[in-house]
Amino acid sequence: MNELIQKAKSLLESDTVQVVIGYGKGSADKTRAIFLTKPEDCDQLLFDSRCVQNLAVYLTKHEIKHLGKPAIVAPIPVLRSILQLAVENQLKESDLVILGVSPESKLIEFDSFGAIELFLNAYKIQIDEKYKATIDKIKAMPVSERFAFWIKELEPCFKCYACRAACPLCYCPKCTVENNQPQWIPAASHLLGNLEWHVMRAMHLAGRCTDCEACYNACPMGIPIHLLTKSMLQDVEEHFGPYGPSVGKRNTLSSFNPDDKESFIR
Amino acid sequence: MSKIGVFICHCGENISATVNCGKVAEVAGKLEGVAYSTDYKYMCSDPGQTIIKQMIKEKGLDGVVVAACSPRMHEPTFRKACSEAGLNPYLCEMANLREHCSWVHDKSDATTQKAIDIVRTLVEKVKHNKPLSTIKVPVTKKALVIGGGIAGIQASLDIANAGHQVVLVEKEPSIGGHMSQLSETFPTLDCSQCILTPRMVEVAQHPNITLMTYAELEKLDGFIGNFKATIRKKAKSIDEKLCTGCGLCTTKCPTKKIPSEFNEGLGFRTAIYVPFPQAVPNKPVIDKLNCQYYLKGKCKVCEKVCPTGAIRFDQEDELVELEVGAVVVATGFNIMTTSEFPEYGYGKYPDVITGLQFERLASASGPTLGEIRRPSDGKIPEKIVFIACAGSRDPAKGKPYCSKICCMYTAKHAMLYQHKVHHGESYVFYMDIRAAGKNYDEFTRRAIVEDKVNYLRGRVSKVYEENGKLIVKGVDTLLNAKPVEIEVDMVVLASAGVANPGSEELAQKMHISYDAYNFFSEAHPKLKPVETNTAGIYLAGACQAPKDIPETVAAASGAAAKVAILFSQNELSREPVVAVVNRSAPPLYSTCVGCFMCATACPYSAIGEEEIKDRKGNVIKKVAKVNPGLCQGCGTCVAFCRSKSIDLDGYTNEQMYSEVMALLNE
Ligand SMILES: Cc1cc2nc3c(=O)[nH]c(=O)nc-3n(C[C@H](O)[C@H](O)[C@H](O)COP(=O)(O)OP(=O)(O)OC[C@H]3O[C@@H](n4cnc5c(N)ncnc54)[C@H](O)[C@@H]3O)c2cc1C
Ligand code: SF4
Ligand code: SF4
Ligand code: SF4
Ligand code: SF4
Repeated sequence: MNELIQKAKSLLESDTVQVVIGYGKGSADKTRAIFLTKPEDCDQLLFDSRCVQNLAVYLTKHEIKHLGKPAIVAPIPVLRSILQLAVENQLKESDLVILGVSPESKLIEFDSFGAIELFLNAYKIQIDEKYKATIDKIKAMPVSERFAFWIKELEPCFKCYACRAACPLCYCPKCTVENNQPQWIPAASHLLGNLEWHVMRAMHLAGRCTDCEACYNACPMGIPIHLLTKSMLQDVEEHFGPYGPSVGKRNTLSSFNPDDKESFIR
Repeated sequence: MSKIGVFICHCGENISATVNCGKVAEVAGKLEGVAYSTDYKYMCSDPGQTIIKQMIKEKGLDGVVVAACSPRMHEPTFRKACSEAGLNPYLCEMANLREHCSWVHDKSDATTQKAIDIVRTLVEKVKHNKPLSTIKVPVTKKALVIGGGIAGIQASLDIANAGHQVVLVEKEPSIGGHMSQLSETFPTLDCSQCILTPRMVEVAQHPNITLMTYAELEKLDGFIGNFKATIRKKAKSIDEKLCTGCGLCTTKCPTKKIPSEFNEGLGFRTAIYVPFPQAVPNKPVIDKLNCQYYLKGKCKVCEKVCPTGAIRFDQEDELVELEVGAVVVATGFNIMTTSEFPEYGYGKYPDVITGLQFERLASASGPTLGEIRRPSDGKIPEKIVFIACAGSRDPAKGKPYCSKICCMYTAKHAMLYQHKVHHGESYVFYMDIRAAGKNYDEFTRRAIVEDKVNYLRGRVSKVYEENGKLIVKGVDTLLNAKPVEIEVDMVVLASAGVANPGSEELAQKMHISYDAYNFFSEAHPKLKPVETNTAGIYLAGACQAPKDIPETVAAASGAAAKVAILFSQNELSREPVVAVVNRSAPPLYSTCVGCFMCATACPYSAIGEEEIKDRKGNVIKKVAKVNPGLCQGCGTCVAFCRSKSIDLDGYTNEQMYSEVMALLNE
């Protein structure tokens, strides 16, 4: 921890970066994102198992960009998001300083996106067995039952868009759902509107989502929307090969490979 | 409030037989925004078009829906009529009542109702149509032809003779391709070199053709009428201006045992070499991979003997940038080698050879001066087997297709053998004899009847060597699948025609599509056989699929005609149905976030970048930009863009949405 604090301090002191994005104490026993611009504040930084929020979400936010060049505390899920953002042309190596944190809470510095990818090779995205079982169960349901299941699950959604705000990959300044010329996705949170919003959200993340679960953690209603993105991950792997961000890899949904199986087209 | 005119066509009885056209016109007339509606027997006829024109003027229509046949048929007709009456042609839409309704349903109220629904959706669309104008792009009247086989030669000559500049790029030191290796050609048995060489010389001397040999395409950017090609001219290590082609260097070069590509490894060449005596250009190149000087730093014999001092050991590859308006791809094909056939000895037996090697043996300019002698000991083979379909039509070899040329050249080979070795015995193992073509079947008959070639219908399972003979084991399926075993002196494989190595990479460089076997794909198998999916790039010859010479030449002239048509205009007019990335007020400037996934999705590589700058020139934002010259209006990017930042002119989100909603909210 000390290591991290010292590094953050020196980065701010030398003006290498103008802001450090990290985890600090939140209300009760929670942690929250903090944005440090003064070296003397760096002692507020902490890192432990409670730090699950995906900080990468701030890298593309206007308000944070205005503060100057950031250094970001990056445990594995954040590293994955950074790499995916790089693949999508949203980050350049010179844009930020990455303060990687290994699962053993060791500070690792990365001087290139390639180095992150190399490191992440040892930490491939893996879907938890318990989720796999749940997804299998849902997939095995007859269509009508499955439909009823999702209607029931999605019913409480009141379109606060916290899931979207928490997701590092939902960085469009104007989201499809805000498009009203024409309004393909109804704005109201009635049944149709909720279904369409969530189908669209899942599709927009297909082949991009890095399974950080930030969306699910953010949802005030505890809706298991991460099941949709996890299921998408499985589908991507099944049809198009291994998922996970990789420099130079083209987006699954937007690119075509002659050896794609195409078994879903009949 | 719109003033739309709806014109319902009976199409003779094609539509009116099952649809009540009067009713459709009546209901359409009451739709919101419709100012006029009528029905008529033949809307596309002169009087029909006159009704439309009159009504545009009389009622001041600001949109037209013609409910008739498929827009593929008559959209240009009606759009032209509208523009003659002063209405922007893109404010005219067609509702397809024929293919989409009357032809596929029986006469009933439901059919009429469907026709009404179709008309309604188009009326809603037209309300959102905006005037568009055709896109003009200039045309650079210079063609790039890649590959100097007979296909590239023919295409270059045709384009050049039409009065346009051509750059012909060939990767080998000489043009000529496979045809230059052939002995005599079916179905007339005329000498290949004799008919080819004059064409090669014509290419070299044509004032409109710039020939670049020992050169390859490095990069291709741009779009129809406006390509930018980068050509790598590999270092030949000679100064071509000084070299007179005397050939002294090639006789003195001490490195003499390099297998000759031209002779398919049946003869040798030197390190400084001209591939064959009739080569064009007839000037040598130094093969750096085999030259003693490049390998060991010592030799330079050629430099010493060259009377004009033309040798340049320090020459480097040169990159040349060309602006061209069209590209003809004519990179040809290749054949499977004997090493790909474990059952026929993996290429271990010197006397199991390919058809191309046989061509070299039969050729007067070949290593045996035209005598059929077997490679192992130079003996004249007394008995010979030809195996047709070696690899072709064999899914196990990954080549389920018919190579098309082998039946014919195998018959030719057997004939040439019988003509040259009068007492010899020849056998052909075949699956079917495919000799469709002018004088082709007669040709194969001649081999069987006049030249007494033994045709056996069946496959050869194995060839092995025993006591200096080759044992060929096969079956004769016409004799109740009787196993046959023949002891012979030589075996010739009519091995499958395959795509050139590197063709996949070349296709990707040019953004053209290719099939599962890496042959280049035509835009339409019947109606666009020489076009590719990328406008301005055409195909000629065997790079598309194995083809014989007549077919290759026909395709080459076809491609050349397409180029000439393109070059007959100074500007290209393009349908303005192209994608556009939106612009919005600051601080957004555009809702595009610059993820450039649309760029990876676009099958035509039409999407690039654009920098939005402030007054001082600082880049505020990088967004996608569609090149209207390249965009084919397929809409893939529109469907892909998550932030809905791209829209397709003529088929905008708003237009599509209003069509869908017209159907849903009756
Ligand atoms: C054994 C055999 C016998 C045959 N006998 C007959 C016959 O009797 N009668 C008949 O009609 N047909 C015959 N054919 C078919 C004939 O060879 C072809 O129809 C003809 O050669 C096709 O011409 P092409 O120009 O398309 O291809 P090719 O002849 O293959 O020429 C392609 C040219 O492009 C060049 N090239 C390749 N890649 C590149 C690149 N990337 N950049 C630049 N240049 C490149 C090559 O070096 C070559 O010069 C025979 C074929 C074989 C194999
Ligand atoms: S898990 Fe949720 S928040 Fe994380 S990348 Fe996927 S969709 Fe976004
Ligand atoms: S966070 Fe939950 S409630 Fe809010 S929009 Fe997302 S799913 Fe709906
Ligand atoms: S137009 Fe859409 S898909 Fe293309 S770069 Fe912009 S946001 Fe991405
Ligand atoms: S419409 Fe099709 S061709 Fe045009 S830019 Fe979009 S994807 Fe490319």
